[in-house]
Amino acid sequence: MSAAVRPYVWLLKKEYRELVASRAWWVMLLAMGPLVGVTFISAVRTYAEASGLNGTSAGVGEAFSPLIGVWAPTFSACEVAAVFLLPFVGIRLVSGDRQSGALKIELQHPMSAFTRVGAKALVLLGGWIVASTAPAAAVLLWKSYGGSIYPPELAAVAFGHLLNAGLTIALAAAAAALTEHPSTAAILTLSVTVGTWIVNFIAAVQGGVWERVAGYTPPAMIAGFQHGLIRLDVVLIALTLVLAGLALAAVWLRLGVAVRRRVHESIALGALTAAVVFSCAFATPSWDTSESRINSFPEADEVALARIRAPLRIEAHLAPEDPRRADLEHRAIAKLRRVLPKVQVQYVSATSIGLFEQNAPHYGEIWYELGGRREMSRVTTAEGVLETIYALAGVKPPLESEDAIFRGHPLAVPPKGAAAVFYGIWPALVVAGAVLVGRLGR
Amino acid sequence: MLQAIGLTKRYGGLIALGDVSFSVFQGEVLGLIGPNGSGKTTLFECLGGVLPLDAGSLMRDGRPFSARERASILFYLPDAIVPWPSQSVRWALDFTLGFFDGRTSLRGEVVDRLDIAPLLDTTIGALSKGQRKRALLAIGLLMPHPVLMADEPFDGLDLRQSRDVAGTLRSYASAGRTMFLSIHQIRDAARVCDRFVLLSGGRARGEGRIHELAALAAARAGSAVASDDLEEVFLALT
Repeated sequence: MSAAVRPYVWLLKKEYRELVASRAWWVMLLAMGPLVGVTFISAVRTYAEASGLNGTSAGVGEAFSPLIGVWAPTFSACEVAAVFLLPFVGIRLVSGDRQSGALKIELQHPMSAFTRVGAKALVLLGGWIVASTAPAAAVLLWKSYGGSIYPPELAAVAFGHLLNAGLTIALAAAAAALTEHPSTAAILTLSVTVGTWIVNFIAAVQGGVWERVAGYTPPAMIAGFQHGLIRLDVVLIALTLVLAGLALAAVWLRLGVAVRRRVHESIALGALTAAVVFSCAFATPSWDTSESRINSFPEADEVALARIRAPLRIEAHLAPEDPRRADLEHRAIAKLRRVLPKVQVQYVSATSIGLFEQNAPHYGEIWYELGGRREMSRVTTAEGVLETIYALAGVKPPLESEDAIFRGHPLAVPPKGAAAVFYGIWPALVVAGAVLVGRLGR
Repeated sequence: MLQAIGLTKRYGGLIALGDVSFSVFQGEVLGLIGPNGSGKTTLFECLGGVLPLDAGSLMRDGRPFSARERASILFYLPDAIVPWPSQSVRWALDFTLGFFDGRTSLRGEVVDRLDIAPLLDTTIGALSKGQRKRALLAIGLLMPHPVLMADEPFDGLDLRQSRDVAGTLRSYASAGRTMFLSIHQIRDAARVCDRFVLLSGGRARGEGRIHELAALAAARAGSAVASDDLEEVFLALT
């Protein structure tokens, strides 16, 4: 091993030992089993009922995809753990050195602060991956029931949660480095999390630019991945924020640097991050990994839409909280943006709920403008939107193909053995692991 | 070997260190003497690079040296810390030796001299204050840096242990390692140090061997001060 690499390897070893010595990590590990168990068992039961178990009419579950029916709810346990458990593990690992005084010794090595923080982040990510074996166990159970698995969509969900964990780790590291005490860091971290919820709430009420910003908050990001959608802008922005959080932590862990200089560096870092995030927001490529193509129009429609070169402008007179607006956005506009990057959408409303605008002239109208021609429609379904666009563009609608329709994978089996795995075997293994590691670790 | 020039550190309006200057010579045991709150720990933390200086510089052979050079020359062993509390002493020694590329060949000798062999499998968080101090001193002695700055190296040690540790520090100094020790117990300092820097109220009140300090005290007081009594000299100069 080269002399340059050796200190880093020792640092990784140290961080690993500190992680497995921390009760916070073991508690997170312990909690992951029951958390995943609750969501998985409930999801499989619902899926089975819809597929015809217990006398329900068979065939209802035909439209069911395991992505929406099983993986999204099962992996949501990871989201809960990332919000409420992982920050404390991260804070413990970063603050622990400062609290114990170890940081004063380690800082005397000329290794860069970012490398130091990076080692912690790597180990924390490793710790998260170990905790993620709980949803992995759910995947194996599902397979054992004879359930269908479509690897690309499952990988997208897992990747989204890994990215979310990275964001949490970076946030926790920055908070722990900025504050003197772990409890202050925990408050700061949770405040940021609650802040993102507030942004989502404001976006739902106000719409506009808030809606755009809310699209990059962890809950919105996770929602995209849970639908099997990988958006390049979301991935790039998340990675930028992870790096920025770790860099901020590195800036504030350099105790030997004057506070004023650290403040200046933080401001510069904030400005640079904002610029990069702004640039990344213009990256349009995205990939629909879902087997059911839930984020896309049928392939024939995408081919037809790709032939439309003129920019499309849509003006929808719908308030942010009007359910029709959510329908329009999710069923049509989001899919349209993926095929027609030049589409411009403007929502117009006088109020946030739209309840008292129903009788106002033009409310509920959706205006389409393409190549100098205008057309109005009130339909918010994907089919209705496409019909209007085809009519405006003078493009012949493609024929609906029976083969392109997703038939789903109904599975009418109960979650056999899952309770034993997640409520019994998992906790027992975690406790045994903690005892074993405690004994062997020294 | 090293010169500290005009070291200054302020906390708001409070001057923790005011224009402190002194020299450190190779192979000596230099004592930083001062009452509690005189700025000893602040001075060490600034020199160790874990606290920023407001002004002042460090020179080596007449030229200032960078933070990277400082990290290869000075090792600061803080007082009252419990690093890696859930790890064993054995592992802490392994880690610091590996991380800092320390003096592995001295490991057995240092462990024996500081009598920490029975503690090797105990976690650092479970050690008593004196045991922890000896374990930390072992880490300090195993570091590759030519200058070891130890903050209160005798704090928590009983009389016998203090004498043994003093002997150990002196023996490594005579082998060429420079020891810079912050000590508030003047008797401990007198037993182990070659020269002294007297610090009071964040200012250096004198520097030199005991007879040089006694002469300085006499010059300031206008009357003779016992040249073999560091306590009297210290009181006269601060």
